Amino acid sequence: MVRRSGVLLKSAATGISSRLAEILVCPLTKQPLRMCEKTNSLISDSIGVSYPIVEWIPRLVPSDGIILQSDQDLNSSDSPQTNSS
Amino acid sequence: MATTLQFALPSIAGRRRRPDSRSINRPVRCAADRQALFNRIAPVYDNLNDLFSLGRHRVWKRMTVSWSGVKEGDTVLDVCCGSGDLAFLLSEKVGITGKLRFEGVIAMKFDQTDSYLTEALCLELVEFWQDLRVIALDFSREQLQIAASRQSERSKACYKNIEWIEGDAVELPFSKSSFDAATIGYGLRNIVDRRKAMEEMYKVLKPGSKVSILDFNKSTSSLNSSIQDWMIDYIVVPIASGYGLANEYHYLKNSIKEYLTGNELEKLAGEVGFSEAKFYEIGAGFMGNLVATR
Repeated sequence: MVRRSGVLLKSAATGISSRLAEILVCPLTKQPLRMCEKTNSLISDSIGVSYPIVEWIPRLVPSDGIILQSDQDLNSSDSPQTNSS
Repeated sequence: MATTLQFALPSIAGRRRRPDSRSINRPVRCAADRQALFNRIAPVYDNLNDLFSLGRHRVWKRMTVSWSGVKEGDTVLDVCCGSGDLAFLLSEKVGITGKLRFEGVIAMKFDQTDSYLTEALCLELVEFWQDLRVIALDFSREQLQIAASRQSERSKACYKNIEWIEGDAVELPFSKSSFDAATIGYGLRNIVDRRKAMEEMYKVLKPGSKVSILDFNKSTSSLNSSIQDWMIDYIVVPIASGYGLANEYHYLKNSIKEYLTGNELEKLAGEVGFSEAKFYEIGAGFMGNLVATR
């Protein structure tokens, strides 16, 4: 008996691969980004900015960034940091 | 409360302008204007490329991919990807690989008479890790949506290895030395700060890798320039008018005039730090391809 459950190793919420998440950095600071499945976004902790992922396409034009103003916004993540410098 | 990051750029994205004599010569100067332009032409961009070049743009793009030195297994970047022509060609070259992880469970089964054992090996395919191979970036949301639609319509498995990113060529969102090759097709000419874009591409390429840049050739031959101008004025713009896009394609002529010649492109690449840079005229001298090595 062979049971198949092929599942792409992609985030179910964001739809971007973990491999892509390793390459992506903040366009302004070039620092690693943190994937946040709760808000479906990529967080630049160094400047407190969130970049949305819409229909599996990350929006990383600097003007797409949303400034996160509260500690609650900054900490609203259920994903550990996935990038390495 | 979240605040949108504001930059001092005019916001005209999504607004369609009616062509009129007052706006016909309005220069498309800033990045926001150009972004809006490419959003407007997105629905007909592919068809008009075929029409204006009589399909030849497909050949030139294959040459661009070939010059990039891309090979199977590489991770490559396509900047200013538009609706994805170069990205699809790159994905065919780099192919697709995957890794399977198995968890094996051996189940022992005894039949009713216990006279023999049957053994069933249960394999569960728990993960299929698809290597990321092609990253394609553009600042036009509409162009990216078309690219993603084309990807979902195509059946070749290798096209699944493309990831689309909305981003700015002068602020690339990638780690240093991430890519084995890069391409830009009909994009560098449209970037306001070309030096910055070249610097960004230099940083994200691995040492020894190449960027292959296809665009119109700003020819030093006055005959070529004249023929190019005539074709834009009497073929391209009239056809584009039929789609309500006369202004958008009139921009093409000015953008070529403001672009760099082959020699100037080679010089710019050298100044940015590329170890080698060579410009090739193709398409009877109307097109050109710069190949720069990191």
